[in-house]
Amino acid sequence: MMGARREHVDATVGIPPAVTDETEAFWTAAAEGRLVVERCTTCGAESFPPRGMCRSCRSRSTSPSEIIGRGVVYSFTVNHQRWLPDLEVPYAVVLVEFPDHPGVRVAGRLRGCAPDEVTVGMVVEVGFEPGPGGFSIPSFVAEERES
Amino acid sequence: MGTELFERRVVISGVGQSEIGRQVDRSGLQLTIDAVLAAVEDAGLTVDDIDGLAMFPGGGTANLPGYANGNLYEVQDALRVATTWRQGQVEGMSLPFYGPAQAVATGQARHAVIWRTVKEGSAARDAGGRPAYGSTKPVAEGPLAWLLPVGMLSPVCQIAPYATRYMHDHGVTREQLGWIPVTQRVHAARNPDAVYQAPLTMDEYLEARMISTPMCLYDCDVPVDGATAIVVSAVETVPDLRAPVRIEAMAGVVDGRPSWDQWEDFGRVGYGAAEAMWARTDLRPRDVDVAQLYDGFTIEAVWWLEAMGFCGPGEAGAFVEGGYRIALGGELPLNTWGGQLSGGRLHAAFGHTAEAVRQVRGEAGDRQVPGAEVAAVTNVGGFEAGASLLARW
Repeated sequence: MMGARREHVDATVGIPPAVTDETEAFWTAAAEGRLVVERCTTCGAESFPPRGMCRSCRSRSTSPSEIIGRGVVYSFTVNHQRWLPDLEVPYAVVLVEFPDHPGVRVAGRLRGCAPDEVTVGMVVEVGFEPGPGGFSIPSFVAEERES
Repeated sequence: MGTELFERRVVISGVGQSEIGRQVDRSGLQLTIDAVLAAVEDAGLTVDDIDGLAMFPGGGTANLPGYANGNLYEVQDALRVATTWRQGQVEGMSLPFYGPAQAVATGQARHAVIWRTVKEGSAARDAGGRPAYGSTKPVAEGPLAWLLPVGMLSPVCQIAPYATRYMHDHGVTREQLGWIPVTQRVHAARNPDAVYQAPLTMDEYLEARMISTPMCLYDCDVPVDGATAIVVSAVETVPDLRAPVRIEAMAGVVDGRPSWDQWEDFGRVGYGAAEAMWARTDLRPRDVDVAQLYDGFTIEAVWWLEAMGFCGPGEAGAFVEGGYRIALGGELPLNTWGGQLSGGRLHAAFGHTAEAVRQVRGEAGDRQVPGAEVAAVTNVGGFEAGASLLARW
């Protein structure tokens, strides 16, 4: 679409997360551009968001585990409403699942395409960008499509 | 039904509401007292009869401006009642009368009143015309920590991806969704307490500004100020009551992951509650005369139509198309008070319950469904789900 590939929308206006014992590893890794979930050291299942407990076998023994590889857009919305002063709109938010990591679904912004080009089933790469309060937030990147 | 159901040991005896408006210049506490006194009078009781109190939410933990008001201590002190049972429902509100019904059925109280007071209309005004949603807290806690920081700043942004997915999977169109607010606005014109009564056309719906795709302005309920109170009474007090209403069956089931981003398939959020509810009654969907289905967003009413079995999975778009099935005079009049989309966001199915009670009593005025004996009431506040049938005594 002509002119649709606009400059990137700033994501720093907003509300930062409260960091807890359970979520500290996620936000620390996010600052390094890495997506980590909780992996059970007993059964190997992955859980997200981190709760300090395996959602598969209920073991309390977990450790951070990095998700590498592509995700698939489960669904999306394009937000047009300026909920806060200076919030830049519109922007796309996606819920991303990972074929190799059942049970992991992560919400994030979407870059690399115009908001109105996002589709269900779109393949995306893991990414982060500067978000509110100095945090890095999940910001998936649309895979280049062959034209 | 082999075993006695606890909901058959109680009745809904009264409902009452304060003035409802986009802005009402009365405090949350005064609106609450207005509604409680009206509900107690409606029941045919006096305040001295009340021995159970509950409010939703308790504690005001939600970070939505105007969402939580008052304080159970203040209301109890104002009413000057002694209680044998109390509840401040912060979470787990499957239906407004669910907890009170359990308390009354188990003898912890004889007449319990529960209320919900919103000042979200004033909160929007006080925000300077800006949308009031967002956050009253500087940081996002709990499940919201995964949503607000990435820009899912309002419930509409949070439910919208599930609407996108549902419409993608089932081929449902925006025009089909539009028949819900358009039809409910026709109903609201017959409700003098509805905040929006002027006709809404399909063109106006389709041209309305987008909030968070695919949800436009008219897919979202209307922030208001107002209070609703409901009295739940023990069945043995029926001779003392003006117009009791039977709770035929009710259930609250949360069988998915309880968060906006992790629930597996929001289109099925009400299925567990509806299935559990139908298992408690011999009535079937065709026996329902009028439906008050939660409509914080149009898409929630769509999902409830399917969950309750009024149509099949994926069929609700076709079911509401043209509006004739869900209109007054149709096979399933929907949200006859205008719903939260036109009547106002009284929230958590408090407004829906009040209307269901009026309908099965035959007290719904110009919008009365002739001969209505059974009303469905459902509630989804996000990933919560509650389903019930209220019936003529």
